[in-house]
Amino acid sequence: MIPILQLENIKKNRRAEESTPLFAGVNAEVAEPDSIALLGVSGQGKSTLLRIMSLLDAPDGGEIRLHNNPQAEMDPRQWRMNVCYVAQQAVMLPGTIDDNIKTASLLHGKPFDREHAERLRERLGLGGLDPAKKASELSGGEKQRVSLLRSLMLRPQVLLLDEVTASLDQASKQKVEDVLLERHREEGTTLIWVTHDLEQALQVSRTVWFMAEGTLLEKGGTESFFQHPATDAGLKYIRASGSGE
Amino acid sequence: MSLLALSFTLLFVMITMLVSVWQKLGLERDIAIGTIRSAVQLLLVGYVLQFVFNTKNVLLIALIVLFMLTIACLNAAKRGAGLRGIVWRVAAAIGTTELLMMGLLIGFGIIDATAQYIIPISGMTIGNAMVVAGLFLNQMKQEVEASKGEIEVLLSLGSNAKQAMAGVTKRAVKSSMIPTIDGMKTVGLVQLPGMMTGMIIAGANPIDAVRYQILIVFAFASSAAVTSIILSLLSYRLWFTKDLRIQIPEQKG
Repeated sequence: MIPILQLENIKKNRRAEESTPLFAGVNAEVAEPDSIALLGVSGQGKSTLLRIMSLLDAPDGGEIRLHNNPQAEMDPRQWRMNVCYVAQQAVMLPGTIDDNIKTASLLHGKPFDREHAERLRERLGLGGLDPAKKASELSGGEKQRVSLLRSLMLRPQVLLLDEVTASLDQASKQKVEDVLLERHREEGTTLIWVTHDLEQALQVSRTVWFMAEGTLLEKGGTESFFQHPATDAGLKYIRASGSGE
Repeated sequence: MSLLALSFTLLFVMITMLVSVWQKLGLERDIAIGTIRSAVQLLLVGYVLQFVFNTKNVLLIALIVLFMLTIACLNAAKRGAGLRGIVWRVAAAIGTTELLMMGLLIGFGIIDATAQYIIPISGMTIGNAMVVAGLFLNQMKQEVEASKGEIEVLLSLGSNAKQAMAGVTKRAVKSSMIPTIDGMKTVGLVQLPGMMTGMIIAGANPIDAVRYQILIVFAFASSAAVTSIILSLLSYRLWFTKDLRIQIPEQKG
């Protein structure tokens, strides 16, 4: 079977003057639809790796492939429609909530699936908001959910989720997780979560990618990572985060 | 104005110099260079124009307009330093504007197709287009930096360069046109434009002078619009790499 996404020897330098790269030798593969928690202490380059996967940042070495097609040979638009990045800082586009939600269909000249949008709006707890409200006037948590909904309307095969529940209360966070996991189960969407919330990682992921020591140090099942991390760095990380056994 | 009278205008330079010395501004050298350059450049242009007006040589007129264009493009393109091939794009924008303006003005018989009209009006059109192009590029740089998040959201949703930049270029076009439009609103109330003042001093009927000034003001408005829209169409792609990532040119110095 052709893997969905492959990372081969990915390297990213820091600013030119520093000698050690941010990370190097990052190898990973998403063979089948999966829900992956990308973990690691701050500053390991987790967000950068997501941005590389969505072609917003260029790697300084290595290759990424989608369905075995090298990135260099693919139209970046096609790539991004399949591998969609949802930023940690939700940026609203000018206009209303509705304008934001319709962006994907407008960009690609496809009919807007209103029913689908309505259902997602309800499920994400945005049902009470007037769709004609200016998006810039929303609260941080509302923006985050509108931004996620805007990306979900694209129906990408891989969703790169950069701390997308960071500014949400417990109830909204649960809703977001439910919607995303349902997407994963029903449509086979691969989810890659960057999160600092280990409870969340345990609940939503089947696989863990653990970044430390300037590379992707561990890859494996979520349970086995939390129970028996293969490296000292992994053990330290789980202990420091206070939810290991 | 006699040469003696002209030489008395050096008094103004003396005043400037004295202020600089008195306030220790250290500008004496620059003032001296500025004085000599402006006097020499303008006198030279005067003689060149006198010569051109007498010869009626079309090629010579074209050459002078081309010279103005070159200087204007090099100057405006500085605002977009670091963008690949920006000089040619600025040249296309300003050049098209100039051709369009002259085409309309001469085509409709608004002005005569003589050096006396073509050169000064071209100078003003190109000069204004230069300012607009510079403002546009400057504004683009600020907009792209400020709206990076917005552009990346659109890219993430699979937009092409044009779609990702639509909001940004629109805002930059708008703000590059604002000074020209504001100028239209206050012209004559706050200051009398240089051309009109010059014509009146040289003895022209004020009504005549005003007619030409109206022509210039209207021509400026449309040349501002044409320049910045053409430049936006020609340059939006320069803010992206080949594989559609944002690239902001490094600021030099």
